[in-house]
Amino acid sequence: MDASLLIIQPASIEPIYRQIVEQLRRLIAAGQLAPGELLPSVRDVAGFHAINPMTVSRAYGIAESEGLLERQRGKGMVVAATHRTTQTQNQRMALLEPQLQALTRHAGELELPADAVLRRLTKLLGE
Amino acid sequence: MNAMLREQAHLPLETRGLQHCYEGVNVLCGIDLALEPGSVLGLIGRNGAGKSTLIRAMLGLLVPLAGSTQVFGEAALKLSDAAKARIAYVPQQPEALAWLTAQQMLDYVGRFYPQWDATFVRTTMERWQIQPNRLLAKLSPGERQRVDLIRALASQPELLVLDEPAAALDPVARRELLREVALRAGESGTTVLFSTHIVSDLERVASEIAFLHQGKLLMHCSVDETKERYARLWLPGKMSAAAPTESLSRRRHEDGSISLVVERDAAGQWPQAAGLAGARVDALGLEDLFVEIAE
Repeated sequence: MDASLLIIQPASIEPIYRQIVEQLRRLIAAGQLAPGELLPSVRDVAGFHAINPMTVSRAYGIAESEGLLERQRGKGMVVAATHRTTQTQNQRMALLEPQLQALTRHAGELELPADAVLRRLTKLLGE
Repeated sequence: MNAMLREQAHLPLETRGLQHCYEGVNVLCGIDLALEPGSVLGLIGRNGAGKSTLIRAMLGLLVPLAGSTQVFGEAALKLSDAAKARIAYVPQQPEALAWLTAQQMLDYVGRFYPQWDATFVRTTMERWQIQPNRLLAKLSPGERQRVDLIRALASQPELLVLDEPAAALDPVARRELLREVALRAGESGTTVLFSTHIVSDLERVASEIAFLHQGKLLMHCSVDETKERYARLWLPGKMSAAAPTESLSRRRHEDGSISLVVERDAAGQWPQAAGLAGARVDALGLEDLFVEIAE
């Protein structure tokens, strides 16, 4: 994987370390990063994007503790061997949680009844 | 050996109770600030907030009304040559040694620094398009600051202090400077203090931020924490009585509604009013956060 594959938006309300973890999660879930694939070094990512190396380390550390990445001796970080297939529905569902929270908040602000929102959502999901 | 251990125990920069005023107007009203080795502190504030004054006072270039600063454990106003060799400072408008050419100045200054990196000077001069044989006095303010940034970085300082470094650089050179700052902090443990207007620069490389506003430091914490800990709470007019009394800023809009910058409590909860029906909590980017507070 190349460091340029990550997209960093400093002005976003999302802290940079979370932007990185989130992108790794999606790239791995979508199979764009295969198990065993080598990740760019902390230095490469920090250098390419001109961001603080500690931010990158922090993101890698979180991804490692979530089981997305594995540290390989003398090599660096690689995509963990066990992922998508072994991810339970609950784990995949958790990835959707931020969007669901946002949706709920917007619906509340617009004072929309839950059943109307659910009807629409059911329709979209069925399509 | 003992001397080395003692040295390591000292923070690169530690200031206490700093106060200063110009013509009776208070600029700094009791600033406390400490920098851990390897940290990158982004100092932000409006024009005239006193950022340059704070930097100059902390480096002993200005005698403050009250308070004191220690740089590597030494009083800022009486730094030894050995301590000075570990520091590099780039002012907003460098003026020193203007009668020399860029090359002459760098050759001359380089002799004072044991770690001087002549290769870095050569390659960066080229990349940043500095003509080595022009007199510093004849350079534009931007070129002049670029030469001074090269001077500062080439000395491989342990403490690097930059006052509005981005103003003089085009986007490509700016990115390059940020990369240098980020990698040196991460790999060589360089401690960096820089002031800037450009919030996105700060969000990239800073490990922590401090916001200088009305003579005080607000929100001195890590960049990530700032984004997660503060938000804007909006309450419609009829609910403005429920607004928490403590907030970093408070603005009443024409329609009677009210906006406040609020902070999570120790348990990570927003103030109670945020849970009321009709209330809105919006996460803010740093720039919006500053505008919200500084306005």
